[in-house]
Amino acid sequence: MENFSLTRSELIQLTEDTFIISFNEWIDFEPTQFIMIETETSIVRKPFGLGRWNEKLAIGVQIIGPGTNYIVQKSVLNAHGPCGKGFVPPEGKGAMIATPACLPMAFDLNKRCNCDVFIGSLEKLSIEIPFPLVIGDESFLNLLRSLEGYDWFLVIGSDQMEKVSYDILKDKAEVFVSFNEYMACGIGACRGCVKETKNGLKHLCIDGPVLRGEEVWS
Amino acid sequence: MRPPIVIASGVGGMGEYLKLIDPKQIGAYTLKTTTFKPRRGNPPPRLIATQDYLINSIGLENVGVEKFIEELENKVYDELFEKVKVIFSFAGENFEEYLLVAQKMAPYQGRFVAFECNFSCPNVHFNPLSNVAELERMLSELRKRLNVFLIAKLGIEGAFVEEIAKIVEKCGWNGVTLINTIRALHVDGDRIIKGGISGPVLKPIALRAVYEVRNRTNLYIIASGGIMNEQDAEQFFKVGANAISIGTALYKDPKIVEKIARMFF
Repeated sequence: MENFSLTRSELIQLTEDTFIISFNEWIDFEPTQFIMIETETSIVRKPFGLGRWNEKLAIGVQIIGPGTNYIVQKSVLNAHGPCGKGFVPPEGKGAMIATPACLPMAFDLNKRCNCDVFIGSLEKLSIEIPFPLVIGDESFLNLLRSLEGYDWFLVIGSDQMEKVSYDILKDKAEVFVSFNEYMACGIGACRGCVKETKNGLKHLCIDGPVLRGEEVWS
Repeated sequence: MRPPIVIASGVGGMGEYLKLIDPKQIGAYTLKTTTFKPRRGNPPPRLIATQDYLINSIGLENVGVEKFIEELENKVYDELFEKVKVIFSFAGENFEEYLLVAQKMAPYQGRFVAFECNFSCPNVHFNPLSNVAELERMLSELRKRLNVFLIAKLGIEGAFVEEIAKIVEKCGWNGVTLINTIRALHVDGDRIIKGGISGPVLKPIALRAVYEVRNRTNLYIIASGGIMNEQDAEQFFKVGANAISIGTALYKDPKIVEKIARMFF
């Protein structure tokens, strides 16, 4: 865990509002760990999942407001991390289901966890990716229904996308979900990012961000 | 205290920020408030942030004093004590519970540089500052039970803060932390988040509180509220603070502590 500055290497636009940012610096991290990035538009830093792009450290950013826009615009970012618990996949064949903003994490998980990756997007991507891609809600639902033969799934995306995915996949295999919650410190100090689970409150920045879906949605 | 910089209770958790801040830059580290009974804290969402403020609704989540003592005895915080001076923060859900926490912690007070009594958490229903007579009785009782440097963490809701501070001094306490977060509410679409507000919006209010208390008491004043940079810190010292407490600014940039500490080395 440390403070650092990251200088941008590449900015790749995937869709109208979604980007991959790769960096010149490298930090060691475990799958699904994240960093907290400072912006000028909020008093707290924002969490972004770590991944890789062309073997460089990278994050995915979907612009949803001034903070994410700031991160896309700036060539140097202040951050701390890596934060969170690294995802340790269970035995067996796994698949990650994610949105375009999670592509850097997908590249990392594909490489280190040897899992298949499926990307669901609302629009076409500006680049070719080495993973199956479906576009639109209906195609995404069909994809989820078609997935068979896996021992586990990992879902990373918006709250709504994660819940829909969990509901369809939960009877097929164990489903892990990277949950989203407001964070302030990212290091377990403030107790802000709690999630209600059947095993009590979990703090996503230290117990997560990945939890078993059935802990939250059973 | 050198440097006269305190890590604020709540924000600093139980020492986690030492992962990101050089302990030599910290005068004292205040632990998250411990209550008599364990508290689960409030349900999510617990945070909302803008450029100017943060509203938190953590609700004093903590393990309770008995578990905390067990952790102390099991050396959970030994590394923290080796690196920095530590302030114990405590509260209760009624007057009696404040006294019970003090009683249980009295044997351990030598390990701490001070005890900070949190009389002003905006996320619990009990506000000791709204009953001045009872508060005075409790301050006196706590003083009798504890020999440690005693700090009252005050808010601005209840009686005027300078009037409370005079009572704190009269009861033989050593200092005050001014101010705590203030009750606030944020509307976000259909969501309503109630909690305590912190950040830059608090600075003028905290400055006034420090100014008024300095002009009426000789208490040691730890200023807290909207200190985001060196200039803010200077202003608090100018109006009479003996030390400053860094809280919400840590969320934006933990290095702020080192930047402010440079003023003193």
